[in-house]
Formats: sequence, C-alpha cells, structure tokens
Amino acid sequence: MNAQLLQPAFVDPVLDAQRSFRAALKALAEPGLIQPLPAAPHLEGLAPATYALCLGLLDADTPLWLAPSFDTPLIRANLAFHCGCPLAARREDAVFALLGEHDLHDLSGFDHGNDRYPDQSCTLLVQLSDLDSGRGLNWSGPGIQAQRQVSLPLPQAFWLERQRREAFPRGLDVLFGAGHYLLGLPRSTRVAEECA
Amino acid sequence: MNDITQIPTRDPAYNFAYLDEQTKRMIRRALLKAVAIPGYQVPFGGREMPLPYGWGTGGMQLTAAILGAEDVLKVIDQGADDTTNAVSIRRFFARTAGIATTEATPDATVIQTRHRIPETPLQAGQIMVYQVPIPEPLRFIEPSETETRTMHALNDYGVMHVKLYEDIATFGHIATAYAYPVMVDERYVMDPSPIPKFDNPKLDMSPALMLFGAGREKRLYAVPPYTQVSSLDFEDHPFEVQKWQHCCAICGSHESFLDELILDDAGTQSFVCSDTWYCAQRVKENNQ
Repeated sequence: MNAQLLQPAFVDPVLDAQRSFRAALKALAEPGLIQPLPAAPHLEGLAPATYALCLGLLDADTPLWLAPSFDTPLIRANLAFHCGCPLAARREDAVFALLGEHDLHDLSGFDHGNDRYPDQSCTLLVQLSDLDSGRGLNWSGPGIQAQRQVSLPLPQAFWLERQRREAFPRGLDVLFGAGHYLLGLPRSTRVAEECA
Repeated sequence: MNDITQIPTRDPAYNFAYLDEQTKRMIRRALLKAVAIPGYQVPFGGREMPLPYGWGTGGMQLTAAILGAEDVLKVIDQGADDTTNAVSIRRFFARTAGIATTEATPDATVIQTRHRIPETPLQAGQIMVYQVPIPEPLRFIEPSETETRTMHALNDYGVMHVKLYEDIATFGHIATAYAYPVMVDERYVMDPSPIPKFDNPKLDMSPALMLFGAGREKRLYAVPPYTQVSSLDFEDHPFEVQKWQHCCAICGSHESFLDELILDDAGTQSFVCSDTWYCAQRVKENNQ
C-alpha cells in the first residue's frame, strides 16, 4: 500500500457513518425514494454516495467484491485503510459487491442466501450516473403505499437478471448511488412493466 | 412536565450512544437485511448491555445503532413515559449520546417502546423500536430453533392456526390477548412483541418504520412503512380488539387502551389510559 494514495474520509467518523446508514435504511425501507447524503467525501472513481456507503457499512467482517472498473490502486488502498474490508476474489464469497452500470448484465455468482437464512445474501452497491433518467417502472410492495414510479437508467438485462433470481425470501438487495443521492431496491419490491 | 424537550450534555467517557462502532456496523447491516425481508428474524451478535436481559437490551442496541445527533428520543414502558424502565433508558441515551429527549409522541423521531404503540397516530419518518422478549411466534408450539426456522422457510404455519383453533375449542373465542401473531406482507408470521392485540391494527400500513430487537435471543426484525400486517384469524372467528365498558377516569377517553387499577381491599376498580402522554394531552385540551 502506498501512503501517498491515502485520502481523508469521513470528517466525523461516528456521526457521518450514522448518517450514511440512516440514508441506506430509509432507502431500503422506502424503495424508490431518492435519499440525499449531503456530507459525503469524494474519492476518484467513487461517487460520494457510494463511498459513504462503503465507509459506513464495510469492515473486517464483510468481504467485498470489486467490479474491474473499481479495482484501482487508489480505491483498494483507501478501502483497506478506512474500512479494513477483505477483497473477495470470487463473487460467491462476497457480502457486499461494488458494481457500475456496465456490470449489470450478469449478476451470476452472488450469494442469494437460502430459505432458512435469506439474510446471508450479498448486498449490491451499484454506482450510476443519475437516478432518474431511465424509463419509468411501477414499483410496489413493502415501503410503498400504493405504487411508485421509478426511472432508474438501467439496462433491460438487469431486470431480467433480477427476475431470474427472484425466489423470495431469497434474493439480492441493491443500493443505487449517484452523486450525493441514494435509492434502494430490496428483494421485497415488486417491479411491474413500464407505465405510459 | 410533559412536553419539555431537554438537550443534555454527552458524557465523553462513552462512545456516542454507548456501543462501539464495530458493533453498530454489525447491527446496522442486520437491520438493512431485516428491512429487505419484512418479518424475518435476522440473527445478530447481541452484546451485553449495562442492565439485565428483560429490561430492553435488544431495543437499546437497535436504538444505539440508529441514533444520530439530530434525533429526539421518546421511551415508553407499557405506554407510560414516567416508569422506571422508560426513565432509565431515556436517561441512558441522554447521557451517552447527548441527544434531546421528549415525552411528546409527535416530536419524537425515535420511539423505543416496551409493549405499547402510542395512541397518537405515528407519522412518516418516525422509527419505532420494540423491546422483544421472545421473537419466535412459534416457540411455545415448537421449542426447537432448527424446526421453527424450517417452518418459516417452508411457509408452514398450519400449527399456528391449530393453536388459535384450540383456543376457540376451549374458550369459544381466540383467547390470545397480547403478542397476537401477525402475518407480514403475506409471507412471514411474526410476533409483534407483547403489545396488546388492541395495538395490532396500528401496525398495518403504518407510515412509521418498525424495528424489533430481542437482546437475550439475539434476533432483530423489521416492518417497513406501508406494509401489510394482518392478524391471524378465521373467517367465522374474525380478529377483534379489546373493548371496555368504562372510560378513562382521568381524561374520559373511550378510544384508548385502559389499564385496570384496584383502589382498595374491597376490589373497587378504576380504569385509566395506559398512554400517559395521550391522557395528559387530553386533560390539557379539556381544561382549555
């Protein structure tokens, strides 16, 4: 590890980690609602929201799988220093995975948990350029009063991949991050075909 | 006395909200999974807290993990803000986190509760934290954790209905009055903690996020806002909540959950609201 690569992370590690967790909790409790995360640090290659999630949730207990686009010496060094999380070589071993928009065509390998312990599944942290420029889909399920229209810029392949792995209570939970904003897609959310 | 919001100073000898950061992260990750799988019990590495099991160690660990500097905390014990358990837990977080505390339900962002849901309707953005003694609704029917876990996995809840049916066969009605089992989002049968069944309807499609923590059993679970929560029942024996012929002796409420008081050796009864803040508010309004 090169000491010159290291950059400051949270200004207040205790309260900033709490803020990023609460944003993530709200994002998964109310799927499709955009949650702001104002005071998040920046790291080249990682949006503030994505980086804040890493800093707030990862530690030595959570092997992280890095998509090749995020596998830079800078990101490796800072995650190792600030989080101390091991990096998983295989997707199967990951508790968290960091993906970009080009990695969503193939979600194979990630742990979905099992019927007795569905909580042991992998959580995907997906970094996008924005959270509202895609085509509108109708989301419903826990956390949504009736229906919510969400326009994530995602390829159709992602929804197919998600659908193929849908076997509630098993499944993948996704936190999307773009800039200073977060949006959650838990496995419990039912996504219907596009609305007019 | 009732709606004073006090901001105390934090005792710097403790980490913010008592628990260390590693423990908080572990609980936070478990909470995210709990919210993603409504009603499912997530195992977590429960820590020893500076008070015995049964006094709300599970709820306190969740509160410690979610609490931030801007939060306003309310703690109730059977609806009361001023009983030992509520006062100690409120003081504990005021001291270790330096956060504001309140007795007013609408002012609170986090409400830790032992066995009641406030009468005042909850709002979006509020978080309820329940103290849970035994998180497994099937435990009194099936003592083995391996078995109950399989029953949850297979969505095999017939035995729960058998238990409720046995109540009907013995007493003519479903005699379970508290910790009445519910079905969350048509998938998991969940113990709503020992709240009276009077409070069960408040769980259904509530705008608030509900978190449940069991310290001794080291399980936590959650119900997100706007989630279907239905109490188990039968077509010919539909779910019903308790009703009283009396009204509250202090505020006169006919709608609230009433506690029975015995006033003398002759057994003279009186009934008062279990939710002390709700009752005090009504008295104040009536006096105006």
